[in-house]
Amino acid sequence: MAWVTWRQHRAQLVGALGLVVALALGALATRLPIQAAYHREALSDCLPPASKSGCDIIVRHFESQFDTWVAALRGLAVLPALAGLFVGAPLLARELEHDTHRFAWTQGVTRRRWLLSKTVLLAAATVASAAAASAIVMWWRSPFDTLEGRIAPSAFDVEGVVVPAYALFALAIGVLAGLVFRRSVAAMTATLVAFASTRLVVAELLRPHFLAPLHRVVIGADPIPQTGGWVLNDTLVDAVGRQITAGREDLAVLHAQHAGIDPQTYLVTLGWKRVVAYQPAGRFWTFQLIEAGIFVTLAAAVVLATLWLVRRTPT
Amino acid sequence: MNPAPLDARGLGKRFRRDWGLRDCTLTIPHGAVVGLVGPNAAGKSTLLSLAAGLLAPSEGSIAVLGRDPLRDPAVLADVGYVAQSAPLYRSFTIADTIEFSRRTNSRWDEEIVFDVLTSMSPETKVGSLSAGERSRLALALALGKRPQLVLLDEPFARLDPLAGREFLQLLMDGVAETGATVVIASHVVADVERVCDHIVLLTDGGVRLEGNVEELLESHRILMGPRRPLGSIRGVSSIVRERHGDRQLTLLVRSHGPIADPSWRVERVGLEELLLAYMAPERLPTPMPPEKVPLRWHG
Repeated sequence: MAWVTWRQHRAQLVGALGLVVALALGALATRLPIQAAYHREALSDCLPPASKSGCDIIVRHFESQFDTWVAALRGLAVLPALAGLFVGAPLLARELEHDTHRFAWTQGVTRRRWLLSKTVLLAAATVASAAAASAIVMWWRSPFDTLEGRIAPSAFDVEGVVVPAYALFALAIGVLAGLVFRRSVAAMTATLVAFASTRLVVAELLRPHFLAPLHRVVIGADPIPQTGGWVLNDTLVDAVGRQITAGREDLAVLHAQHAGIDPQTYLVTLGWKRVVAYQPAGRFWTFQLIEAGIFVTLAAAVVLATLWLVRRTPT
Repeated sequence: MNPAPLDARGLGKRFRRDWGLRDCTLTIPHGAVVGLVGPNAAGKSTLLSLAAGLLAPSEGSIAVLGRDPLRDPAVLADVGYVAQSAPLYRSFTIADTIEFSRRTNSRWDEEIVFDVLTSMSPETKVGSLSAGERSRLALALALGKRPQLVLLDEPFARLDPLAGREFLQLLMDGVAETGATVVIASHVVADVERVCDHIVLLTDGGVRLEGNVEELLESHRILMGPRRPLGSIRGVSSIVRERHGDRQLTLLVRSHGPIADPSWRVERVGLEELLLAYMAPERLPTPMPPEKVPLRWHG
C-alpha cells in the first residue's frame, strides 16, 4: 500500500515538501534583519526579568519595526487546514466522483485496510511537514518569544506541538467529509467549516480554562508588568471586590477631572484596583500538550468513525 | 461440495423509494458462463454491485463463494469485478495500473495480464486509451487475480462489434485456463448469446427467467397455425408470447412435453428471440387453463 499511496498522492506530498521549503527560505530571508536589529539594539539586556530603564522603549521600537511580519506570521495558522482541504477531502471524494472506488475497493486488499493504510501514511507525512513548519516558525519567532512570551494565541497557534495536531485533525475531518459528501468541492467546504469552528471553540472557550488562571492586582495607573503571560481579562474592582462598570468608571474619572485631581490617583483613593487574570508564560508546554491531546483525540475519533462508515456506506 | 459462486436469497435493494432489485433468488452453478440480461435499469448493475460488496442489501442475502461480500470483503480477492465503463485511474500509465493491482492483491498472475494486453505499450496513460483498450486493460487486471468468479458489468456498452468479439475471445481464453465462473451483464442479448451457457433474465428488478441455456431452449417452442381462439394445448404449460397475423397465429410457449396436435407447426426457438419475448413488457405469459377443460369455441 505504500507504493499505492505514494503513486496516488505524490503531487500532494511534493506540494507539502515545497511548502515547507518555501517557508524555510522565507523565514531565513526575513529572520536575518531581525537578528541584526536584535543585536544592534542590544535587546538581550532588556530580557525580563531585567528592567533596565528605557527598556520598554527599546523593546517597543524593536517590535514596531517588525510588527507587519509578526502579524503575517499569524496567518500561518491556516496552514494545517491545507492538509484537510487538499489531502484529506479529495482522498475519498475523488474516488467516489470518478467511480474508481469500484476498482480500488474490489481488490484483494479490503476497503478498510486500503483506507487505514492510506490514512496512516498520509498522516505520517502530514505530521512530519507540520512539525517542520512549526519548528521553522519557532526559530523565526524566538526573539519575540523571549520578549513577549508565547502563550498568547498569536504565538501559541503557530508554534509547538499543536501545529501537527491541528494538521492531523484537519486531515481526518477531510477524509470523513469526502466519504459523507462524495464530492471534492463539497468535502473541502465542509472540512474548512468543521476545522475552523473546532479550532475556534477550543481556542476561545476551552483553552483559557485548561488550568485556572492566575490573578494579579494592579493598583492605579501601574502598567501591567511584562511577564510574557496571556492576559485573559483586566477588570476594575472596588474595595470590596465588586466589578466596576464602564459607566461608573467614566463617572469617577469625570468627577476627578472636575475636582482637578489626577483621575488615577483619585481611583486609588477610592480603593479601586485592577485585577488582571492571566495564564503565565511558564504554562506554554502544558497548554500545548493539552491542546494537542484534544486534537489528536478528535482526529483518532474521526478516523475510527470513517473506518466504520466506509464499510457501511453504500456506494 | 464448494459453495456456489453466487447465491442470492430473496435479495432486494432499495434506492430511496424505488427498488433496484427485489426478491431475487438464484444460484449460479460452478464454471458457468452466465449471461445476466435485461433491459436498462432492470437491476443488473445492482446485482453485480451487491455481489462485489459495493452495495448493502436492503433485504435478503447474497453469498459469493459462500461468503458475505460486505461482512467478509476478503472474499473479493477471488472475484474479478469490472464495473460499468471500466473505471480506472486516468492519470496512471498502464504499467502503474498493473502495479496497483499487483500490490493490492496477494495472488497475482502477471502472465495472464500480458497475454490479454499483448501489444499495448506500458507507458501509455490510461486516460488516453480507447474504450476498447481500456476495457481490455480492466479485463486483464480482473483475470490477473486468477479469480474464481468474474463479474463484468456491461463490458460491451462502449465497444464496437469487432472489439466486443475480441473481448469475448480474450475472456474465454482467460477463464478456460482457470475454470472460473463468469457473469456478464448486458442489455444486448446478441452480445452474450454466443458464449453463455446459463441465463439470468432480469426485468424491473426481478428475476424473470433463469436457467441453463440448453434446457431453456429445449423447453420452449414456437407454434404456428391458423388463427383460432386459444384454449389449452396438450404439452404446453404457458404461453410466453402470442402474435396474431391476418390468418396465422404464432405462439411462443413453454412446453412440458411433445406437442402432438398436428394443426400446429412446431419450431425450435432461438435464444435471442426467447429472451426478447420474456423481456417484452407488454404482457406476462398466460398460464394455460387446465387441459381437461373442453375447448370452448366462440363466434
